[in-house]
Amino acid sequence: MLYILFEHAAGYALFLSTQSEEIGAQQQEVQQAMLQLSSFLQLVKLEGFSPFKSGTNALENMNCISEGLLHEDLKNFLEVNLSKEADFTLGVSDNKLGATIQETLGFQCSTLGAISDLIRGIRLHFHQLVEGLTKLAQDKAQLGLGHSYSRAKVKFNVNRVDNMVI
Amino acid sequence: GRFNAKGGSKILIEPHRHPGIYIAKSKEDLLVTKNMVTGESVYGEKRITIEDNLDGKTEYRVWNPFRSKLAAAILGGIDRIHIAPGSKVLYLGAASGTTVSHVSDIVGPNGLVFAVEFSQRSGRDLLNVAKKRTNIIPIIEDARHPQKYRMIVSMVDTIFADVAQPDQARIVGINAHYYLKHRGYVVISIKANCIDSTAQPEAVFAEELMKLQREMIRPQEQLTLEPYERDHAVVVGIYRPDRKQKYD
Repeated sequence: MLYILFEHAAGYALFLSTQSEEIGAQQQEVQQAMLQLSSFLQLVKLEGFSPFKSGTNALENMNCISEGLLHEDLKNFLEVNLSKEADFTLGVSDNKLGATIQETLGFQCSTLGAISDLIRGIRLHFHQLVEGLTKLAQDKAQLGLGHSYSRAKVKFNVNRVDNMVI
Repeated sequence: GRFNAKGGSKILIEPHRHPGIYIAKSKEDLLVTKNMVTGESVYGEKRITIEDNLDGKTEYRVWNPFRSKLAAAILGGIDRIHIAPGSKVLYLGAASGTTVSHVSDIVGPNGLVFAVEFSQRSGRDLLNVAKKRTNIIPIIEDARHPQKYRMIVSMVDTIFADVAQPDQARIVGINAHYYLKHRGYVVISIKANCIDSTAQPEAVFAEELMKLQREMIRPQEQLTLEPYERDHAVVVGIYRPDRKQKYD
């Protein structure tokens, strides 16, 4: 079984790849199928979605994701959805986060094979894969989080030399 | 400063060949974009207000090709820029947001610009530009690590890159692998002496085209930016094309 973790400004989503055998060999197929929503829906199925509770909550999670760290929210989300499963691989976008998840939760993680292409497909169709999420809501969540993440980067940079507080 | 087309002065606005861009015709022709935020300049550029019989006033901002490589490429006659009303653009090397603001004007309220800049100093200006323009998503982060901003970027139609780094082909490539649609486009500004300051510019450009091809980007057009920039080229390419198919 192949699950895919997708992290978005609106929340965490978990997908099940419905064609997990020999994922390496079907890359060409995945690439073609992912372009149309109808055929992409044959490849993945939404297993769980956990929206962020607030803008602050989303920012905390993005700060962890960008550094490859496992936030408590993500840990809970994966535990709730996967702890009963046996013999599966979790496809992730980032090796570092994969290693952290593997170490903390014992889930086997991978970024190889068709995983990156499946994630491209999820990114392309995301607002149509999660019920209740609209394109507008998706863009708004990204806009809000883009601002708060970037503001914090500018404000709390340790290497900043101008504007010292004494 | 600003100048006004009210009361007899003769400025005519004509659409440019590229959708979303206009030409202001007066004594000299100026490249302009339709201002998303009426009444405000972003970096001290001139504004032109046109009284319109139908829907009141429309304001345009003058786009200086000496300050923007994209404007220079357009005036240099580039065939396609792949940035139009409604486009989603990933803009790498957004700097203070001067060119980004014109891209924001072009893509308009139905488009989006994901603007990536790593420098804190420029980043502050970029954040201020984005505050007033809700179609710009500011991303203060290193474009070498696109996975860091994966929560806030969608799949895009076009990547525009002006990062002036020796490894820029690779930077564009990894961003394309994450975020650029199949058969999406890249538009890259290449400054020869940022890549290799000793080689001939033409040799540097040729080498960069090879590197792009290794990233599954098929170059379609190359244009030097004379007389606006020296030893600069803009390259347009298509990402993951079908091998046999031709594209315009």
